[in-house]
Amino acid sequence: MSLTEGKLDRADLLKVGAAGALGLALARPAYSAALRSEATTLNWLTWSDHYANDQLKTVSKATGLQGRPTLFSDNADAYLKIKQTGSQFDIVSADGLWVPKYVKDGLTETFDLSSLPVSKQLYSLARQFPFWQSGSNYMAYPFSWSTVQIYYNPKYVKVKPTSWHAILDKKYAGKISLENIPTDMMAIAGRATGAKKPYSMTTAEISRAKAYLKGLKPNVLKLASQNNEVVRALADGSAWIGITNLGTDDRVKDAGGPVVKSAYPKEGTVGFIDSESIVKASKHKDVWAKFINTTEQAPWIAKNFLTNGRPLFNEKAYKILVNQGHGDRARRLLYNKPQLALQMTIKGPAGDQQAYTDAFNEVFGA
Amino acid sequence: MDSGVPAPPRTGRSRFAAFGQYGGFLPAIVVFGVFFAAPLALIVAYSFWKVVDYNVVHDWTLDNYRYFFSVGTYARTFWATIWVTFSATALTIVIAFPFAYWLVRYVSKRLQALLLVLVILPFWTSYLLRVYAWLNILGPEGAINRFLHWIGLTSQPVSFFLYDRPAVILVLAYLYFPFAALTLYASLQRFDWNQFKAAMDLGATPATAMRKILLPQIKPGITTAVIFVFIPILGEYLTPQLVGGARGVMIGNLIANFFGVGQYTRGAAAALLIAALIVALLVVFRRSLEVRDAYAP
Repeated sequence: MSLTEGKLDRADLLKVGAAGALGLALARPAYSAALRSEATTLNWLTWSDHYANDQLKTVSKATGLQGRPTLFSDNADAYLKIKQTGSQFDIVSADGLWVPKYVKDGLTETFDLSSLPVSKQLYSLARQFPFWQSGSNYMAYPFSWSTVQIYYNPKYVKVKPTSWHAILDKKYAGKISLENIPTDMMAIAGRATGAKKPYSMTTAEISRAKAYLKGLKPNVLKLASQNNEVVRALADGSAWIGITNLGTDDRVKDAGGPVVKSAYPKEGTVGFIDSESIVKASKHKDVWAKFINTTEQAPWIAKNFLTNGRPLFNEKAYKILVNQGHGDRARRLLYNKPQLALQMTIKGPAGDQQAYTDAFNEVFGA
Repeated sequence: MDSGVPAPPRTGRSRFAAFGQYGGFLPAIVVFGVFFAAPLALIVAYSFWKVVDYNVVHDWTLDNYRYFFSVGTYARTFWATIWVTFSATALTIVIAFPFAYWLVRYVSKRLQALLLVLVILPFWTSYLLRVYAWLNILGPEGAINRFLHWIGLTSQPVSFFLYDRPAVILVLAYLYFPFAALTLYASLQRFDWNQFKAAMDLGATPATAMRKILLPQIKPGITTAVIFVFIPILGEYLTPQLVGGARGVMIGNLIANFFGVGQYTRGAAAALLIAALIVALLVVFRRSLEVRDAYAP
């Protein structure tokens, strides 16, 4: 190579490329060995409220298992990622009736819940959800739950909105914030309009739900891409009403916002029971139990509750919260009443996803 | 035209020569094929398939296109998208042109370099951060509202600035300003300003000289700037999602909704309709980009 001329011709380039490739090939075994000696990385497709960075660091130090979260917002999005990426992920978080779909479609696998010592810290009810039973096995490790309800700023909303129809009032024009999750919004609209199965609506029920959303649209400030945007809108006063999870009142307060109150619509609502599952194609299935057993310990779950403010299924963590003086808050957010989780319409895949998305887009398009 | 003379038979040597002549295109053909033609063909195929229970089923159908043409929302959203894109592009050019003009004509070369670095400085941060920054400027607690409150013009935060189309247009103009400014700068820098001076010497007003001498000569530069701004904005969905609110939705948001829940075939059809519009616009723009062949008779 004629370096003195500072030029690289095609032959030189090929030589350098070949030398580089050879070097990489020779270095690879040593590099792989070095990687093997370090922590095993578990790729975790999850929501941001399922972990804390200090928790992952501590777990990594204690077990040599490094959780690497990748975030998603909508269950459908996560389902499709797992379906398309094969072994790229080891753990996936999923809501309620999405979990059986993952198992049915061969994307996650069941396990013996009682083989995880940490499962003894769970409420007994959370160990027996009928929709997660698969013979003697369980489909997912239960994590948290919440209803999706109305939060309102009493400074502007003088009458407590106890019905989904109350928020259609024109005086709330451009003052409602909600998450941009077409399936769940259609299901909420289904509940508002009396659909029997909000996630499997008939064509007529979809039409009624669509009409409800059309009525709601002028009042919608924004369709938030993440839950924290709803909190932010309530905190900075741009939204007077938020359709969101339990604990939003505390999160708005923590964000320096005003007092917001919750209202549970009389038509009922949807909600999530979420969990962690083993991805079937994972190459680290053998360490999944060890990872879950360490990350789901009660002290971490108690901390998680204080940060994210919605009930979780770890009963031992509730006791820690009570001992730490957070009992009132925990009870206010229904931590001690996991049975209420079964009264809501549990989130799941839509019966006809295309019809749901079409209807949602037809409403929220220009 | 058939000359009536039979073509000589191809020998191995002539085939080799032909390969040598066109073989150089092979890398470009491979790159073009792998990164453009194949994905595009896949999107076209998807747009004619359907989805059943989150699985793409290879049954050929026109349903996706039929659906878009039968539902008024999409035509309205499409029109709104074009309107927002046009407004944002116009605003960007209106801001970028005087800036580039001032930079070329009145700023020293050394300072020009510094100012150009400042123009591209926002690219050093992520797109998302730049949009989020605008939430803090336009929001109820944002800089504009604080300023209006400080000068006593308002007593309550005004929500007008955020979560509507004007906010989308403003933020898009900010995001795409560097593309337009740099393109126009390059074009203006090549312009022979003596012609401009000559026109004025011959009695043209500055406005006339600009209209009749400058603008026609930098037309390809303006067209390129418009292309660089208009086309990417057509497919935008993040900015309208974050600052547009429910009233600032663009077609990209609806497409994102389709892809987010695995309705790939619907999403592909909508994306292709936008692509068709872009191709049509490029055909229109192409006339403005034509450069006279110096060796043409």
